[in-house]
Amino acid sequence: MAFLLERPHALTPPATMELVSMLTSIAGVLEQRVPAVTALLKVQFSGLLYSYDPILCHVVLMLYSRFSDAFSGEDERGIARRLALVARETHHPLIFRLLALHWLLGLPRLADGKASLAPLTPNFYPTVFDPLALKAKKLDVLSCIAASLDVSRGEGKEEEEEKEGRKAQVVKLFEDGLVCVSAFKWLPPRSTETLVAFRTLHNFLIGVAPHRNGSSENSEIGVLMDSTIFHTIQSMLVSLALEHHGLVPMIATFLDRLLACKAHRQVGEWLLQTLDEHLLPKLESGYQLVSYFPIFERIAESDTIPPHGLLELLARHMVTLSEKHGPDTWLRSWSQGSKVLGICRMMLKHHHGSRVFLALSHLLTFTCQFFPDLEVRDNARIYLRMLLCIPGKKLRHIMNLVEQPSGVSPSPHPGSLFQVPSPRHAQDLKKSVGVSSYIHLERVIPLLVKQSWSLTLPNLSNGDSKSSYVEGIKDISAPPSTEMEGEGEVDIERIILPKEPLRVMDSKVAEILGVLRRHFACIPDYRHMPAIKIRIPCRLRFDSDPFTRVWGAASFALDSEEVDGLPALYATTITFSSTSKYGSIPPCRVPFLLGEPSRTGFDIVPVDDSCEGEDSSFRASVMIELEPREPVPGLIDVAIKANAENGQVISGSLQNITVGIEDMFLKAVIPPDIAEDRVPEYYMDLFHALWEACGNSANTGRETFPLSGGKGAVAINGTRSVKLLEVPAYSLIRAIERYLAPFVVSVIGNPLVNVVKDNGVIRDVVWGEDSENFADSNVGALVPYSDNVPLQLPYTEGESDADSPPQVNKRNMGIFLVLIFLPPWFHLLFQMEARFTSAAWQDFVLSAKDAHCRIWLLITMQRTI
Amino acid sequence: MSSCSIRALWILNPQDAVVFSRRFPVVERRWRLACEKEKESSAVEDYRYSAQPLLPTDVELASAFAERKKRQGSARGFGIRFSQSVQGSDSWVDDPITRHIITLYVNGEEGDEFMLWPLVLHTKGSYYILVLPFVGPQQFKAYVRLFTRSDCGNSVGEECSLSSLLLNLPCITGAFMVAHTVGDMVAGDVQDPEVVVSSSPSVGGLLDSLTGSIGIPSISARAKPVAAPVAASTTSGASAAGNVVIDTPKSTSRPIDKEALRTFISSSMPFGTPLDLNISNISAIKTNGFSSADLPPSDLKQPAWKPYLYKGKQRILFTIHEFINAALYDRDEIPDAISISGQLNCKAELEGLPDVSLPLTGLKSAHVEILSFHHCAQVSEHGEDKQALMFSPPLGNFVLMRYQALSNLDPPVKGFYQLSMVSEDEGAFLFRLRLMEGYKAPFSMEFCTVTMPFPRRRVASIDGNPSTGTVSTTEVSVEWKIITSGRGITGKSIEATFSGTVRFLPRTSQRVPSRSMSVSASVVEEDSDVEQDSSGNIVNIEEYLTEKMNKDLQAVDLEEPLCWQAYSYAKVSFKIFGGSLSGMSIDPKTVSIYPAVKAPVEFSMQASSGDYILWNTLGRCPFAALATVH
Repeated sequence: MAFLLERPHALTPPATMELVSMLTSIAGVLEQRVPAVTALLKVQFSGLLYSYDPILCHVVLMLYSRFSDAFSGEDERGIARRLALVARETHHPLIFRLLALHWLLGLPRLADGKASLAPLTPNFYPTVFDPLALKAKKLDVLSCIAASLDVSRGEGKEEEEEKEGRKAQVVKLFEDGLVCVSAFKWLPPRSTETLVAFRTLHNFLIGVAPHRNGSSENSEIGVLMDSTIFHTIQSMLVSLALEHHGLVPMIATFLDRLLACKAHRQVGEWLLQTLDEHLLPKLESGYQLVSYFPIFERIAESDTIPPHGLLELLARHMVTLSEKHGPDTWLRSWSQGSKVLGICRMMLKHHHGSRVFLALSHLLTFTCQFFPDLEVRDNARIYLRMLLCIPGKKLRHIMNLVEQPSGVSPSPHPGSLFQVPSPRHAQDLKKSVGVSSYIHLERVIPLLVKQSWSLTLPNLSNGDSKSSYVEGIKDISAPPSTEMEGEGEVDIERIILPKEPLRVMDSKVAEILGVLRRHFACIPDYRHMPAIKIRIPCRLRFDSDPFTRVWGAASFALDSEEVDGLPALYATTITFSSTSKYGSIPPCRVPFLLGEPSRTGFDIVPVDDSCEGEDSSFRASVMIELEPREPVPGLIDVAIKANAENGQVISGSLQNITVGIEDMFLKAVIPPDIAEDRVPEYYMDLFHALWEACGNSANTGRETFPLSGGKGAVAINGTRSVKLLEVPAYSLIRAIERYLAPFVVSVIGNPLVNVVKDNGVIRDVVWGEDSENFADSNVGALVPYSDNVPLQLPYTEGESDADSPPQVNKRNMGIFLVLIFLPPWFHLLFQMEARFTSAAWQDFVLSAKDAHCRIWLLITMQRTI
Repeated sequence: MSSCSIRALWILNPQDAVVFSRRFPVVERRWRLACEKEKESSAVEDYRYSAQPLLPTDVELASAFAERKKRQGSARGFGIRFSQSVQGSDSWVDDPITRHIITLYVNGEEGDEFMLWPLVLHTKGSYYILVLPFVGPQQFKAYVRLFTRSDCGNSVGEECSLSSLLLNLPCITGAFMVAHTVGDMVAGDVQDPEVVVSSSPSVGGLLDSLTGSIGIPSISARAKPVAAPVAASTTSGASAAGNVVIDTPKSTSRPIDKEALRTFISSSMPFGTPLDLNISNISAIKTNGFSSADLPPSDLKQPAWKPYLYKGKQRILFTIHEFINAALYDRDEIPDAISISGQLNCKAELEGLPDVSLPLTGLKSAHVEILSFHHCAQVSEHGEDKQALMFSPPLGNFVLMRYQALSNLDPPVKGFYQLSMVSEDEGAFLFRLRLMEGYKAPFSMEFCTVTMPFPRRRVASIDGNPSTGTVSTTEVSVEWKIITSGRGITGKSIEATFSGTVRFLPRTSQRVPSRSMSVSASVVEEDSDVEQDSSGNIVNIEEYLTEKMNKDLQAVDLEEPLCWQAYSYAKVSFKIFGGSLSGMSIDPKTVSIYPAVKAPVEFSMQASSGDYILWNTLGRCPFAALATVH
């Protein structure tokens, strides 16, 4: 050992390394006792630093890093200088030049910040012929020097000047350094020069606030923001993007890298803000703008940047695209339009709805109205629809689905989110069966009488659901309906053929005919034009819990907020079909529906009206539109198709919707030339004309009345029946006010008028004061029943009273005249006579429950065909 | 601190098959023990990223290497983090050195996957040489941390950076030396430094000395290169034209002499520890052995690197050989950049173990900036202008000293080159050059050739006659021989002009598949919108053509200094005898030998061109900022 120590030069370089590594372990032990040993080693071996053999250089470095105390400041500077020079020696293979720079950067004193490389700066300037790897590494060193200059802060006024000087130095280092790869500005963005340049930007930038071990939070981030280099790079990025739009993707990547880093995310966002503030206003809309889209995407993604600026620019861009559109640019319009929508989509994904709502809805509205490309318009419409219908968090969630597919194959491009998913999901029969048990489509206004049957499908099992809602009137509905059964389809053609020549008519008949003609001319003929529609408002809702059990939870069900945990239905389509003759029923669409949270003890059956306004997200109102061919109650089959949150297609049939006769009740059409204040009189006239036409079919029976559209005509054929109801008058009035108020044409008879007027529900009708006269003249006319129709009087006890109504005229309270139009061209006329059976009117008012109050109710129903 | 030990070494051919491998069980055992110790002390972690006491089989290694090559686009990889980099890959570390120190994921045949680091990758000829040095599991883990870091990476000066790791891993440095030595053996270009004397052009190295003195002629046949056809020519024309770095792979290869390699490895690194990497010495010992005549004299301490002592006529030869790199711009705003790297080669045919002292003076006037010495040399004083050198010369030719300097004289070829595209397929060019201006005898220029490379065009024809010399064309270049060998000029300067027109075949839109960055190239979206517009905006035809040409430029390797194909330039090559451009010189009279013997000292100088580029004055040119001393 002594021999070798004496003549270290006698060994080959690798052997020297072996020797020194052994010596360091020995010296490490001896150091405590004999401190001089390290100095001895230093003296013996430090000369090797000047060898061109990298191994020998490293030998000295081994000693230095192990026993750095033995090396004085002068020695350290010597080592640093030597390493800087080794990196410049062109005869070395590249790897050793790179290693030399690494060794230099790895020197422990340097890492501590105790030593500075600043005096050696000129050595690290890359030269033209340095390989790019070496340039990159030299730039690293320069960034290191710049960072140390940038952060060393001076205090006191005299240091201000020095500070300024250092700032200039930092900028100079940065700019000088980049010169050697300045070709990145015009070379293709994928060039190595570009990579090196942006790597350098990154290193210069974060050199001021490097990652600290293990901690994701960076306390020095504020220092970075104040640093010279940050400001330099800020302005540089803006001008780079402006002047070399080819570099935009690289700038975007550069930002991505910062944004992905926990410690430097903030920096990335600051830079994005800079771009948003300084780049966006300078950009002009035009086809060139598309190259900036990568930056726009980042801006759209960042929720710290207010999106107005970008959205305004994009809106301008869409306008420009639409204006510039010509025959040879439609492919371009499509491509750029789609890209703009892509950014809009990103906005939907990352921003709160309220923030983007106004500007984005303007942009989308414009696009879906005026953009030349159809697909773009369509997509814009879809986005707009989603923006309007789906609440923010759910919207952001489904927008993210494409990126995180759960059970659905990922869509190749964003647009396909709205395309029909692959059929294998659609045919999940097992799941579809029980859909009706948790998805409910219900009538907003329940039927007075639950329909227990259907005319054409006799055996539907709703029989047990008997309504007990209004007991008194429960028997009314069935009998007239059975009447209609036989009438079925009347051959109109047959009717319109006049069988007999017109007869002479008196003026009264002529007047009646005039009213009737006028009336029927307003009724559309459904065979030639859109028929009169009846609307049944319904509500769609579904229960969260069973739904989630069947279709799986949304992926973020764990979210603490209640709304987020609830499942939702998207793009629901409800289709209807019926065996009854209701024409074609248009399907209804519900873009978004949230599941109802399950509440303990919540009863589904009662219709809770207060719920309606509570949160419309839980309940969607659906309007079923029917064009009945004949006014018959029936059932509508309901089928549903919807998307669950995870992309599964839900399909199945729901509970039937029952259509009652009261759904058909419409007011008669008012001809356009009737003034508003004349309407009650018109209805009155119409009522009388129809009544007359039915009653005296001799006069009008052969008459035909052309319908609107001019091709068809109808004849009047009335059917009359009389009913006696034993209910308290109070119930009758209540029931009429509640259910038939819009159809009441006239109220006659003082006692009745007084009651009804007091209640104030029925308005704008003709009030007939003279009850006595009316009763005398009309009631009698009602007594002779139409001979071809069997009179139905369901009450056996009424049989005995059948002849009593004429006798108890004096107890007549009054008459309601009711005119109901039943599409397509039927009418229902009621003349309801309320009579006292008790002498005291007061009794009726005060003791409504009194069973002794008996009222005769007379129903006359007429039908025109 | 551990020294350098090698766990294993592999040589792969261009088809990614292992053609040679060597494992060192002794080192592997140490590694296994270290792993077990580490496992005991640390908690369970990701198996994939933990140090495993495993070594791949040749097949496993080959497939892992091929896999990495596929993933990273080339054998070396990307080196720089870019948009497609993923966590847990070398480019994630974002340091160009990861193109040389690589990681492999080995999928073991028994289904175990583990990571291998650091694999030192060296390419020579068309072979890949992978050397796996022994590093401690701690350091392995430190790298894994860098390798899988989740942040934006690579800030210089942080703790536990790659730099400090490399500083503490001399084994990597050693492994590189091993890899380079093995590479030289594989490629068969074991070159001795050239030593020129006036009597004969070149003097052979150690082997000649040995064969001359000992008389075994068979050894000299060893290094004869055998030409073998190889498909994988990876260098582009431009890179071949523009590089003096020895690192570039050559396109010729020859079958490996495995036996020689095995012998070399077992003697140069017994038990995996490299002890002597001098090929000449090892093979000489192997061939000759030691005879009684070679017994070292007892009074002298014979160095390990000098196994034999010279016997015969004594003399000492010195040659200064300089390479000049120049970027000539002929522009006011950009100064020309000229640098010289030189070396002092020596051949000392001296008996015994004498010390030679050589004072170096006038370093300042020669603008010598960096000096590095052979390990046999000791520098007794480091003056700025004066250095005294004492060395005990090894046998044969060796590089005593290397230096970097600035040019003391004007560049030997001055002038400008202009090329202007008059149409898409036709360019007018003009050279106006002055050669050897200000160079007096004994400077003599042996030859001088100017080459205009057009790597992306096909030269159809050339019009115009030079004022002197001859012109020839190849498919991708035009070559102008101003001075041909044998008609060198001495002590005078000449002027040469050449103007004319070069015509190219029309461009076919062929796209050369890019080499290293193919992944990034294919991913970058070609936006037709942008392209259409940019073409409409440019009025100038020249700019338009440049833009058009630049669009399909391929990214260059990080080992290239610049994207050569993006520029138009002319490359000058020449050789000058009779002096050094830097002014570096030694005075033979001051050379003293101890113990004193009478030995003649001969000295010669020559300079040749490295990257000597005339940038097109009318086109774009690359440049670098010059450092100004603060």
